[in-house]
Amino acid sequence: MTQFSLDDDTVTVVVGSGAGGGTIAHELARRDISVVLLEAGRHMTADDFVNDEMAAYDMLSWLDKRDASGSWRVAKDHPDVPVWHCKGVGGTTLHWSGCCYRLTEDEMRARSVFGDIPGTTLIDWPITLEELEPWYDKAEKKMGVTRTNGLPPLPPNNNFKVMYAGAKALGYDSVSTGRHAINAVPYDGRPASQQDGFTICGDKVGARWSTQNVEIPKALATGKLDLRPESRAVYVEHDETGRASAVLYVDSEGVTHRQKARTVVLAGNCVETSRLLLHSTSARFPNGLANGWGHVGRHYLRHVVQTVWSVFDKPVYMHRGEIMAGYLDEFATHDPSRGFAGGYYVELNSMGLPSMAGLLEPGWWGRDFAQVVEQYANIAGLFMSGEDMPQADNRITLTDRSDAFGVPVANIHYSNHPNDVLMRNHGYKTMRAIHAAAGAKRSIETPPYPATHNLGSNRMAARAEDGVLDGNGRAHEVDNLFIADGSNFATGGAVNPTLTIVALAMRQAAFIEGQMAAGAL
Amino acid sequence: MPHHPTAYRDPKLPSDRVLPGDESWTEMLKAFDAPAANALIAFARTICPHDGLGDGPYRRTVAKLDDVAQANPEKAALLAELVQRIDGAMPLPFVELSEAFRVEILKDIEGSAAFSMAQRTVVLFLYDDLEVWQAFGYEGASVQHGGFVNRGFNDLDWLPEPPEGV
Repeated sequence: MTQFSLDDDTVTVVVGSGAGGGTIAHELARRDISVVLLEAGRHMTADDFVNDEMAAYDMLSWLDKRDASGSWRVAKDHPDVPVWHCKGVGGTTLHWSGCCYRLTEDEMRARSVFGDIPGTTLIDWPITLEELEPWYDKAEKKMGVTRTNGLPPLPPNNNFKVMYAGAKALGYDSVSTGRHAINAVPYDGRPASQQDGFTICGDKVGARWSTQNVEIPKALATGKLDLRPESRAVYVEHDETGRASAVLYVDSEGVTHRQKARTVVLAGNCVETSRLLLHSTSARFPNGLANGWGHVGRHYLRHVVQTVWSVFDKPVYMHRGEIMAGYLDEFATHDPSRGFAGGYYVELNSMGLPSMAGLLEPGWWGRDFAQVVEQYANIAGLFMSGEDMPQADNRITLTDRSDAFGVPVANIHYSNHPNDVLMRNHGYKTMRAIHAAAGAKRSIETPPYPATHNLGSNRMAARAEDGVLDGNGRAHEVDNLFIADGSNFATGGAVNPTLTIVALAMRQAAFIEGQMAAGAL
Repeated sequence: MPHHPTAYRDPKLPSDRVLPGDESWTEMLKAFDAPAANALIAFARTICPHDGLGDGPYRRTVAKLDDVAQANPEKAALLAELVQRIDGAMPLPFVELSEAFRVEILKDIEGSAAFSMAQRTVVLFLYDDLEVWQAFGYEGASVQHGGFVNRGFNDLDWLPEPPEGV
């Protein structure tokens, strides 16, 4: 096992081992750059994972206390767990469902395309789709995305057959099983999907790309990665010139260490990365590191996501097979005639009985509730993911209570913009219509659950006065500090964000290598 | 109830617990006495009324509530408050009341922290029970059988078959 010294100030310290952190750790290590990867959670592997929703939730989730406020339903239904991400080597790629879709050109020019929408803080991305496309190509190849590079699509499962019949009846001809970083055939040493239905519980089979089963093993094999699980980053230090110089972290024994650094990359998901920066105050950065303009933690996005469950006369057994293998893009483009800005995708969704019952309509009880739940076998599901509007006050802040590591607990504040409400309404109606066209007896509109698409809270922006990071994901105010998780998104777009996080991290690694070679880092 | 394929718990996890089939099951509880346990059974049956289910899943749910109450004093106090409120609302204990009266009582306390915690926890526990999975057609763990790739992941036959490569 490679080990670098705590005093080695030539290493790049990466905080977090998920889609952004795990990918950039590998991309740097394979370029012969020394990396120390700090991961708060344990190092679990396929042997540890189970086919069980509740046991996997307890095993994989980041369950440290958070607070929630704002008008979003999540603050009422899930006040202690307003966001849902993972803790463990592999981060939230332990949980993700494998959907791999690209942002569009319009989405990356949101301010220009959507116009001046009151109450929003829309900006254009500081990079273009054209600049990102080669990195999407590389990311899709790395991850083995279906329908790219000659790889076959995932086969239709029962739940998809319902979506397909309804969508086709309504003329939504784009309907397909979609694109996923889940093998339909063996790829890159990983097997094909067994359709076990537990991709989001760690994926015991390993058919789905994750940083736990692909990037980190490959990075370790280079000899340039020092992986430190159960290492909780608590503070980022800077030197007298204002450059990040060390990361303080607490190990599993409760001992605090100071790892010196040449470069620091934060990738702890929106809440943790923002919390770490806000907590890293100093005389030079009294409001938190890289926060001179006050954007750290702001413009938090979580997508317009919601689910419709419908009851049919005959069995579906939606739990069998890959859970999100269905997609249509008829509503993905910005079309002002619909009465709102931005687009959304309709995707497949399935859950096991425990999750579906718990999330169906939190607080619902009695005969009517029970009558729906006991028809589980005949239920099909659809999901939507759409673009939500950035608002300055949708944000992550620090409370006045500290956690076991002495770091203040985060509060996540989110209120829907009127545009979000209009899109939610449109999406519910679309999903109900698809299921009705396939013969649904009844549909249930499930409210949003804890956010898995956490984006935007340390966003990239061409100008420092608009966002924390430049177009390379580097802090405007700290030139050896990078952010590689979804908090770097300038705006949210509509699609599941992981592919974009990976593409951006790959691009960022190449940039860091170039800067190091030029002597600038 | 319709006949469904066999449901499985992941073999790495403990099996659902086996409780005595008779009234003596309450003797194993630590936080609840028999009247409280029976009030909670009646609560769970009112929150999640499945006439086709026997007492087993509801008893296991209350046994898990007992674990929660032992581990967490704050939740224990909320559950004790719930039992007190539902048992004290009418001239008869909650368990003796007809469904209409039970529903009326629960509607009155729906906004309370005690009700909310108990309702959410009952839903969480009751539907994470192998017997309930079997009854409602959720097959649970599949990887030990090679998933569903050869066990019906695409066997729905009451809608048109999508074309190859869709």
